Amino acid sequence: MTQVLTAAALLVTAAGVLSAIAAYTVSRWIGQALPVLLDFLTAAGLLRLAADVSWGSILVAAAVIAVRKVAALGIAVVPRRPGEDLSSTEL
Amino acid sequence: MTCGARVVVSMTFSAELLPEADLREAIGVLVRVVETAGALIIFVGAVWAFARFAAALVRGRGQATGFNGIRLTLGRFLALGLEFQLAGDVLRTAIAPSFTEIGQLAAIAAIRTALNFFLGREIAKERAEVAAVQSAQRKADSRPVEGSR
Repeated sequence: MTQVLTAAALLVTAAGVLSAIAAYTVSRWIGQALPVLLDFLTAAGLLRLAADVSWGSILVAAAVIAVRKVAALGIAVVPRRPGEDLSSTEL
Repeated sequence: MTCGARVVVSMTFSAELLPEADLREAIGVLVRVVETAGALIIFVGAVWAFARFAAALVRGRGQATGFNGIRLTLGRFLALGLEFQLAGDVLRTAIAPSFTEIGQLAAIAAIRTALNFFLGREIAKERAEVAAVQSAQRKADSRPVEGSR
């Protein structure tokens, strides 16, 4: 079971990288691709935590979640393009 | 029969009916089932999201507005899987034999609870944004075209 979950975590990580590349290719904006990658890495971290309950896995999962939160805050603050103000919307 | 003898008999009877080793094994099986369900939900969500992103890549540019919806649904899968894993953590505390294991369980439960909380907030925020976009589109669609009168 542990090996299956570890393999699943690796697959999800690979899927996350490919999905982030797809998101960047379509949107041409790292602010769209980075959250996608971090969501998949979070899913992979949770799968790895289910496979192996150790302090290392716990720290990795916590680190990924913290990076995800910080990246989300950073993307919310930084404008999409240079000179674009934060109040502009895509509606 | 005296009171003390009755207590000894009932304790012996319950120990025979529910030996600790069997109880641990039963709870261990339940924990594995519940945790596997949580992991399966997370994996299915990731596969679904990957398929949607691949489809968006094939369709090309102009599909970036749908990304938030895909991430929202992936977030829902993660939140549901986390609920199952948290249930597994609660069950596991029933058979955790040492303080080290209890400490690890507490750390895992705290991480999963925090992530569940953040995901819940993000899902609510994304849902509000999607509703706002749909409302704006409906207003734009219902507005009469200039010069048509």
